[in-house]
Amino acid sequence: MKKSQDNPPLKVQNLSKFYGSLQAVNQVTFEVQPGEVFGLLGPNGAGKTSIISTIVTLEEPTQGKIEIFGHDVQKDPLTAKSYVGWVPQEVINHGFFNICEIIKFHSGYFGKSLSEEETNQLLKRLDLYNHRHKKVKQLSGGMKRRLMIAKALCHNPKILLLDEPTAGVDIDLRKSLWDFVKELRSQGVAILLTTHYLEEAENLCDRVGFLSHGRILRIGQTSEIVTDLTEKTIELILDRELPELKNSWVQSQKGNEIHLKVPMTKGVFEGVRLAGIDLSHIKDIRVKDGDLEDAFRRVMKEGQQ
Amino acid sequence: MKSQKYLPFFSLLHREISRFFKVAAQTVLTPMINSSLYLLIFGISLGPSIHIEGGISYLAFLIPGLVMMACLNNSFQNSSSSVVGAKFGGDLEDLKSAPLTPQNLIWAYSLGALTRGLIVGSLTFLVGEIFFYVSEGHWLAVQHPLILMVFLVIGSFTFSQLGISVAFWAKTFDQLSAVSGFVLLPLIYLGGVFYSVSNLHPFWQAVSRSNPLLYLINGVREGILGTSDVQMPLAFAVALAGFLVTHALAYWSLKKGSYLRW
Repeated sequence: MKKSQDNPPLKVQNLSKFYGSLQAVNQVTFEVQPGEVFGLLGPNGAGKTSIISTIVTLEEPTQGKIEIFGHDVQKDPLTAKSYVGWVPQEVINHGFFNICEIIKFHSGYFGKSLSEEETNQLLKRLDLYNHRHKKVKQLSGGMKRRLMIAKALCHNPKILLLDEPTAGVDIDLRKSLWDFVKELRSQGVAILLTTHYLEEAENLCDRVGFLSHGRILRIGQTSEIVTDLTEKTIELILDRELPELKNSWVQSQKGNEIHLKVPMTKGVFEGVRLAGIDLSHIKDIRVKDGDLEDAFRRVMKEGQQ
Repeated sequence: MKSQKYLPFFSLLHREISRFFKVAAQTVLTPMINSSLYLLIFGISLGPSIHIEGGISYLAFLIPGLVMMACLNNSFQNSSSSVVGAKFGGDLEDLKSAPLTPQNLIWAYSLGALTRGLIVGSLTFLVGEIFFYVSEGHWLAVQHPLILMVFLVIGSFTFSQLGISVAFWAKTFDQLSAVSGFVLLPLIYLGGVFYSVSNLHPFWQAVSRSNPLLYLINGVREGILGTSDVQMPLAFAVALAGFLVTHALAYWSLKKGSYLRW
């Protein structure tokens, strides 16, 4: 018990995974804390699913160690896995069984006997209650996704692994799923998330790691990464045409229109002034902050060089 | 919410038993009709013209063999189709991600298969009893119930463990069918279900005695009829060895094989 209290929910240390000669994961290290959403972001084939598969012991690491509350997933898999809820990327079929039966069996695999009331509560929370007697093949894509999440949550996990849970689902469902994730975070659940929707990752993830070719290129607080790696875009329309400005922040200058890119650490007016423009000449101004997508693109580009 | 130590195992066992009951027409009724046809064609129609040493009727001789054949076949089919289905649908990934041990999986799959094997075996025996009563005017009494149960249970476990192993390593449905059709079925048919090895040429007797299925089938025959072609201690030793070897094979398959979906 002491082990569980003293250690982070998820600790991945120097994890490497080879498939034959192909290295899918390369010396990956990160932790996820209680009540934290950690986003593992990267293009297809970056190694995100390989990392998650290794955490749930579907794959064996070639090198490195994964601990869940201090329990090594290779040496003490039963204890380690009992803390984990996993939403796989692909929907699981479950053949002959309906939603209620699936939840009952799945919670049972984790040693939890759910009462009918608890099952119904979970299904209601995920809008599946009215479909509880349907089989997986009778469900829509969105319902199948929600069922995967219901399964992952049925044993009250302390760690939730979400492997692209919103791939191919509509906007409303995505929003409700992210609201649900925020609720779980507020309850102290540690969440590891992979997604291609960077805007959502920016809103949701406390920390992110950018993964490319199995290697983490950058890891840190989401807001810090955005601040460090991106720039504000400032579009100015002035009341007059200025002589050509000699400043590296100036991206373009056509007539009375000037486009600036200033570091995120600078305020808008400070940036304009430092670019050599008198604030009194501003007729109109448009500002766009840098975002996680910009930071991601930059890191990926630099990673390729 | 209650947490129980053995619940993971019992949940999987429950699922396994529910699984074949959901399609009982396919998993229980069809094999039973199959066995009934064998009894009708070989036992009733051809039986009177076939002589068996020891003064027992061919129908009586046939019943134990068919009971064991139904039990073994259905045990293998149940575990192998369940594992292959789980691979195909992704359920096996689910099981791997859950705190279930390889032994949990082996025993849950095997007990599920044993349940189906025993149900189909019992129904086959019941149909055989009815045919026997109609034909002979009295019921066929089981001579050694304990021996009967021991061989049915060990045989069923052995075949279900074999089913797990084969299904775990099979890459396609064809590979699974090939093992079932080209290896197991011939072994069962040549294991003395329909004939007594004592009627064979000495060379073929020797060949038959190298078939482990002969010992399982004759164990059941000893249990029901009180007579068989092999010595019971030897039959028990072979059955036990088969169980241990297939258990080791299933354990190794679950430890080393892939749980990833097809």
